[in-house]
Amino acid sequence: MTFPSDENVIIGLDRADDAGVYRISNDLALIQTVDFFTPIVDDPYWFGQIAAANALSDVYAMGGTPKTAMNLVAFPAKTMDLSILRQIIQGGVDKLKEAGVVLIGGHSIEDKEIKYGLSVTGLVHPERVLAKKNLRRGDCLVLTKPLGTGIVNTAIKADMVSEHLLEKVTSLMAELNRDAARIMADFDISACTDVTGFGLLGHLAEMVNGSGCSARIDSGKMPVISEALEFAAMGLIPAGAYKNREFREQMIIFAELVPRTLQDLLYDPQTSGGLLISVSEVHSAALVSALKDGGIDDAAQIGDIFSGPEEKIWVA
Amino acid sequence: MKEIDARGLACPAPVLQTKAALQEDSPNSVRVVVDNAASQQNVQRFLESKGFQTVLDQDGADYVVSGSCDSVPSAQPQPTLKPSSDAKKIMVMCATDRMGFGDDTLGLKLMVNFLRTLKEMGEELWQLVFVNNGVKLTIEGSEVLDDLKGYEKEGLKILVCGTCLNHFNLLDRKQVGETTNMLDIVTAMQLADKVINI
Repeated sequence: MTFPSDENVIIGLDRADDAGVYRISNDLALIQTVDFFTPIVDDPYWFGQIAAANALSDVYAMGGTPKTAMNLVAFPAKTMDLSILRQIIQGGVDKLKEAGVVLIGGHSIEDKEIKYGLSVTGLVHPERVLAKKNLRRGDCLVLTKPLGTGIVNTAIKADMVSEHLLEKVTSLMAELNRDAARIMADFDISACTDVTGFGLLGHLAEMVNGSGCSARIDSGKMPVISEALEFAAMGLIPAGAYKNREFREQMIIFAELVPRTLQDLLYDPQTSGGLLISVSEVHSAALVSALKDGGIDDAAQIGDIFSGPEEKIWVA
Repeated sequence: MKEIDARGLACPAPVLQTKAALQEDSPNSVRVVVDNAASQQNVQRFLESKGFQTVLDQDGADYVVSGSCDSVPSAQPQPTLKPSSDAKKIMVMCATDRMGFGDDTLGLKLMVNFLRTLKEMGEELWQLVFVNNGVKLTIEGSEVLDDLKGYEKEGLKILVCGTCLNHFNLLDRKQVGETTNMLDIVTAMQLADKVINI
C-alpha cells in the first residue's frame, strides 16, 4: 500500500517509528501520535494516568515537547456507572497537567468494553528529531525503566501480586518519560524509542533493522522488576511475549547461559515502558549518572552498537 | 491422572486452572489440554516449576501437556543455596591474560604457569571464570587451551564472559568453557566459599 505524502513529512509511515513528524517551517515541526487501550489495572484513576503517560511517551521519544491532547473514549455507558469514566478521565487530566499539556477536545463512543487513550501533539526542531533509524556505530544503549510490567500484569490477573508490588508497578507505568527526555537532550544522542508492546528486543530490532549496525545486550545489566523473573518461571507470561519472540527470533542470538526467564523479560510487552536511548560512548556514563541524579534510579547502560551489516542482536 | 481442559482460555487462565487442580488433589500426574502455543509453554513451565517432568503432544490443533512427578508436589525439597558437598568451593576469576604488571612476556608466562599449577588445589577448585582480556586464554591458539580442556573434562566448570567475547569479536573462536553473563558470574560468586581474583 502507498500512502499520500509530501516533502514536509520528516517521519511518516515508510518506517516504523514512535510518532509522525511534519515540518511546518525551517525551525518548527509537529509531532503527532495516538494511543489507546483496554484497562490494564483495576483502579480507573490509575488507568487514566497510565494511558496518558503512555500516549505522551511517544512525543518524548521523538525528542519533542508535548503541547496539546485530545481524549479517545469508548465506554459502556448503559451498563456501567459514569463515575468510573469520570475517574479515568481525571487520571488522564492530572497526568497531562503534570506534563504541562492542555486537553483541547476528544471523542467518545458507546462500546461493550472500556477503552481510553489520547491523541497527543507536540513540537520539535526539525533538526533535533530523534528517529529510531539513525543508530550510530560505537554508541551505547541506555534504558530508563525496568522491564517486566507485562509479566507482572499477567500475574495481577492471576491474583498473585502483593499490594506492595502492585503499587510499585502501577506508579512505574504512570511515570512520565518527560524527565528522562529532558535530561537526554543535553547529551549526544543518535536515536531513541520508547519500549512498549513489542518488548525491549522488538523495539531494538526496529532500530537495528536497516541501520547497517548490530547491537550487543548485556543481560546482566538489564534493569528488571525482580519479581517478574519469579512469575516468568511459573508460566505467568503474556501471550504477547511469545508472539514477540516468534516474530524476532531470527535476529536475536542468545548466549547459552542467559536464563530463560531473563529472555522472557527481554521479550515482555511493556505498558508505558522506559526510553531506549542510543548515546555516544563518551557520553554514556555521564548520561546514566545524570538520569540517576534526576531521580530515574533504574537507568542503566545495557549494551552497545557495533558495525554489523548482518543486523543482529547479541544477548550475553 | 488429573485431566484439565483449558481450551478456549487465554493466559494466564490455563495456568490458574492447573494450579487450582494441583492444590485440590495433589495428583502425581496431570494432563492439560490447551489450544494455543503460549498457554502450552506457560503450563509446561508452571508444571516444571512445581517439580513435574513434562511431555508435550499435539492432538490436531490442540496441545497436550502431560506432567508427572514421583512425589507429592508440595513435598518437593526446596533447592538449597549452598552446594551440599563438604569440599570448599573456590572460584578463580581471571580478568586478564597476563599475571601482574611490568613485563608482558613474563606476565603471560606466569599466567600459563599459574593455570597449569591450579590443579594442585584439588577438588576445592570449583569454577574458573574468564572475563575481559582473560577470555583470550580460551580461544584457538591459546597456550593453555589443552590444559583448560583437560580441566573441563575432569568436571571443572569453566565460564567465559559473553560480553567480553563479543567485545573482542571472538565469539566464534572460543574453544573451551561455557559462554556466560554477569548474572551467572555474580550468582557463582555468591555460592563460592572463596573467590580468587587474578
